Amino acid sequence: MATDAPLTEKSAERSAHPIAAIAVVAAIAAWAVPGLGHLLLRRWGRAAFLFLAVGGLALVGYGMRGEVFNTRSTDPFGELGFLADALSGAFYFLPRLLEAAGPDVSRAVGDYGTRFLAAAGVVNLLGVLDAYRIASGRKS
Amino acid sequence: MFGTGVHLSHFAAMVTFALCVSVAFACLGRQTLAGRIKYALLSLALFLVIGVGLAWLMYPFSK
Repeated sequence: MATDAPLTEKSAERSAHPIAAIAVVAAIAAWAVPGLGHLLLRRWGRAAFLFLAVGGLALVGYGMRGEVFNTRSTDPFGELGFLADALSGAFYFLPRLLEAAGPDVSRAVGDYGTRFLAAAGVVNLLGVLDAYRIASGRKS
Repeated sequence: MFGTGVHLSHFAAMVTFALCVSVAFACLGRQTLAGRIKYALLSLALFLVIGVGLAWLMYPFSK
């Protein structure tokens, strides 16, 4: 009986590793393409609505000519802006395609667009955390 | 793709933002379809009511 306990612990550790790996893969997929993490976990509705919500915010943000922050920001707000923008995954890399005229924050609408882009990233972060929790069995 | 940009009024921008965020909150926060619809509508309504309410509260300071 005394030897059973370590064996059980080892087998529990072994079985926990695939779950942790799946959770990390789901989280990375959820970041890369909004909704993809949920799609891999067969949460179809959640995946579709998350993609639409994040995609809608990002596309409208680009349409309003919001500013996309890059890694070369010199002030803390720019760094936070980059962090929020980069969290939207694939949508972060679309400004060259969707915002050919470049950002224009001289108008209020352009400033709103900047907020839309940041909100897309923050909403996607919620999706990443949700996908991670589902894959690790902490949420149904 | 969008040329010179999307032209939305301030209210239309607020409604679009509230709609997208409400849908995301609902699909992440509730499990059933009925629960999600109810949550999304409540969240959307609160976004709009609080947004317009705050705008009216700030209106005297804009002059």
